[in-house]
Amino acid sequence: MAIVEFKDVTRVYTSGDHVLKALDGASFTLDEGKFVVILGPSGAGKSTLLNMLGGLDSPTSGTIKVNGKDISTLSNNELADYRASTVGFVFQFYNLIPTLTVYENVALVKEISPDALDAKQMIAEVGLSDHLHNFPSELSGGEQQRISIARALAKNPRILLCDEPTGALDSETGVLVLKLLLSMAKNYGKTIVIVTHNQSIAKIADVVIRVKNGKIKSCEEQSAPMSVDEVEW
Amino acid sequence: MLIRKLFRTAWRYKSQFLSMILMIAIGVGVFLGFNIEWKSIEADTTAFFEETDYADFRLYEETGFSEEDIEKIQEIDGVEAATRYLAVNAEWKDTKKSVSLNVSENYTVSTMLIMEGSEYDEGADGIWLSDRFAAENDIAVGDTLELSYMGVDISSEVLGLVKSSENMICVADENQLMPDYEKFGFAYISPEKLEEALGMVFYPQVNIISDMEKAELEETVKSALGRTILVTSKDEHIAYAGAQSEAQEGKTMGSILPVLFLAIGVLTMMTTMHRIAANEKVQIGTLKALGFRDSRILRHYTAYGLVIGLLGTALGIGLGYGIASLIVSPAGMMSTYIDIPEWKLIMPAFCIPILIAILVFLTLISSFSVKKMLKGTAADALRPYTPKAMKKSVIEKLFFWERLSFGTKWNIRDILRHKSRSAMTLIGVFGCMLLLVGGLGMKDTMAGFMTVLDEEVSNYTTKITLSESADHAEIEALAEDVSGDWQASTGISYEGETITLEIYHADNEWIRFVDAENNLMELGDDGVYLCLRLADTAEIGDTIEFSPYGSEETYRVKVAGYLRSLMTECIVMTDAYAESMEIPYHISAIYTDESSEDIENSSIIAGKQDKDMIMETYDSFMELMDLMVMIFVVGAIILGTVVLYNLGIMSYVERHRELATLKVLGFRDKHIGRLLISQNIWLTVIGVLIGLPGGVAVLYVLITSLVSEYELSLTIGVLTYSVSILLTFGVSLVVGWMVARKNKTIDMVEALKGRE
Repeated sequence: MAIVEFKDVTRVYTSGDHVLKALDGASFTLDEGKFVVILGPSGAGKSTLLNMLGGLDSPTSGTIKVNGKDISTLSNNELADYRASTVGFVFQFYNLIPTLTVYENVALVKEISPDALDAKQMIAEVGLSDHLHNFPSELSGGEQQRISIARALAKNPRILLCDEPTGALDSETGVLVLKLLLSMAKNYGKTIVIVTHNQSIAKIADVVIRVKNGKIKSCEEQSAPMSVDEVEW
Repeated sequence: MLIRKLFRTAWRYKSQFLSMILMIAIGVGVFLGFNIEWKSIEADTTAFFEETDYADFRLYEETGFSEEDIEKIQEIDGVEAATRYLAVNAEWKDTKKSVSLNVSENYTVSTMLIMEGSEYDEGADGIWLSDRFAAENDIAVGDTLELSYMGVDISSEVLGLVKSSENMICVADENQLMPDYEKFGFAYISPEKLEEALGMVFYPQVNIISDMEKAELEETVKSALGRTILVTSKDEHIAYAGAQSEAQEGKTMGSILPVLFLAIGVLTMMTTMHRIAANEKVQIGTLKALGFRDSRILRHYTAYGLVIGLLGTALGIGLGYGIASLIVSPAGMMSTYIDIPEWKLIMPAFCIPILIAILVFLTLISSFSVKKMLKGTAADALRPYTPKAMKKSVIEKLFFWERLSFGTKWNIRDILRHKSRSAMTLIGVFGCMLLLVGGLGMKDTMAGFMTVLDEEVSNYTTKITLSESADHAEIEALAEDVSGDWQASTGISYEGETITLEIYHADNEWIRFVDAENNLMELGDDGVYLCLRLADTAEIGDTIEFSPYGSEETYRVKVAGYLRSLMTECIVMTDAYAESMEIPYHISAIYTDESSEDIENSSIIAGKQDKDMIMETYDSFMELMDLMVMIFVVGAIILGTVVLYNLGIMSYVERHRELATLKVLGFRDKHIGRLLISQNIWLTVIGVLIGLPGGVAVLYVLITSLVSEYELSLTIGVLTYSVSILLTFGVSLVVGWMVARKNKTIDMVEALKGRE
């Protein structure tokens, strides 16, 4: 069943006389529980796509349906509620709140997400129970990203959105984080969308969407994706 | 090119720049305003004193000084000039108005300044009248003025309109707080005119210009005349003492408020420059990487501090003169109290080095802020500024910590992490609160003072002033006739000071007494009561000594208690106690419930004053108070708004990323807004809690600096507390809301794109 449906979605940025078509008539559908990689060079429009799917941005034209509901016309507050309940984000730069501890960063989502999961359990699952009361600045990059994953999953969202989640990490740590991300998404049965320019990640995806110059070049299902361990990083 | 960058950067941070300039301008303005005020009062009145030969000493003898006396005094070594003098209150016939009638026999001391009309002529048959009294009463040169003194007519043509330093603060007696030129003025006549009207020569006063010490003069006069004479120095004369105490008040104000405002200005500059430098760190690093020398970059950024300092100081100087001219100018507040011909604004010399020091300091602040960012290699400089890493504070070890909501924790940590920013917010709220409580409390205190004076102490309808020559039996008959209470006042020497001994017969309670708590009290017949200003000179039950002027006697009396004397510094006793101690006295005033029209004029009556008229003279004083309070309130609101807004914006910019993250997670704008405002509210609560006692303390200092003039009791109404708290919270909430509103416009996508 399609959980995400993009229909002729266009996003135009204008600043002064300068008009930039970041996304130009993108259409595709995604099925629930799949691992999707959006691939493309920088500036191709893949982050724009992700932001719109995440409810951070609204399309200039076209419709986006998530779980059968049109999110392209929601108000600011409705979008906030959508972000709180339906999607979880993992960013390249983790975006943890520096003044909250590891535990608090994850427990935070309880205030907004109706079906939030237990924070301590999530932290245990990413293997950082020893660091519950540390501040983010006391952790390594990889650890911070694991907390960020725990936070995203603690919301118990339908979809997990990741923007270059390994972009700021060395390749060894990157693989570990990626492994964790995938296994947890699988355990919890989440749809996971990763935006990257890293070709290797595409090899392990169920679905690969290639984006170039704001247009969807291809959207192919891979019948036999490789496992993380098979890929050469 | 760098110059262009200078302007563009300034434009980018325009609200920060503006608030820095404003705060410095306000700091400098308040500092200069009060200092110019007291310096100008001092200098302007001193100039006037010199111009009109103001007397350094006044000698009093009720029976009058003889021609021989004055010759002997003039011969004393160290006496530059001396004149026999008369200053009595004379009624303006058929009106309730009166003037202080002045005669200076030699016209070498206590002269006047002719503003209009003819010069002084000691043989002329005419009156020189106070120009302000004339203006209020539509009297012009050439009009005839009919005065009456002790039943004697003194009518004459007005020859000139004048000002005089002797009457610079023109009040009928110590019960009148502020001049009221519509009802009371002053006039000079020539000695010849006086003699012609009275049919005799009578001068109960000698005015002297001399550099001698008071004690020395007392001694020499005593040996020259062979008797003790009551000598008062200019410190005890209303004109000099009044101007001095105004200057003193200005000095007190000038030492409290400006410190607060300047501190806020400088602190604003420090925190803001630090933030700007931190924000600009990458740019600073880029310039360094491009090959600009540190010194060049430093000069570039230091220029901001200098420009801000210069603009702020320049605005502040303007503001300072503006504030001072509100007070010291022909139409300013002080003109309702002091009557001088020229109001010049003079800046005390010490202000200039202080201004320069402030300027240098501000420049150094910006220099240091940038220097920190330049440290290390170009690569170090290129890295964005990272605030101190989070550490756990003591609070987190407390038992309740874990139970706090994440928002509360977030805010508490944020407050502790940005200590200087939080401290500045506190100081802003504290200052706002302090000004409100101080300003409104001052008004409460003065209003309380008025109420005690009007409703408690002064229970009479009319005060009859008696002539110096009135006979005791006649006075008693009059007092009996109008069923009045009476008062006798004498100058006495007590503990080396000249104060007043007041003896009351107050059986009818037309005049009443209050204790330190403003409760009515009765005077007993077994001792004296010291006014609160003298309270620390003796304990109850102690025996004190004093000697009346003009007498060799020393009296030893018992202290029975203390009372609040609103105006005079005095020792009070009942007539019964005075008689039992055999202290002689001369009744000077009768208080009665009869209205002045029903009291027949007679030769023993020197004047009649309605209580209502006396109280009306306080109106203009209260209007002044209102204006002062307005200035305080407006100042408080400006201060609070500018400081809080500036800090709010800085805090918002710093937490931009965190706020964007919260937004992405799904927090609604309102929820984030509440978080931002609640931090403001906590700081406001703390600021208010310390600002309240702070305001009360400032008020206390102000009131004690006034204590030589009046005995004020610190009064702060519930309304003052509530208005101050509400206004402070109002300012904090409005500003908080203005800042919180901004989070709606956060561009989540932009804010999350890596670290700038």
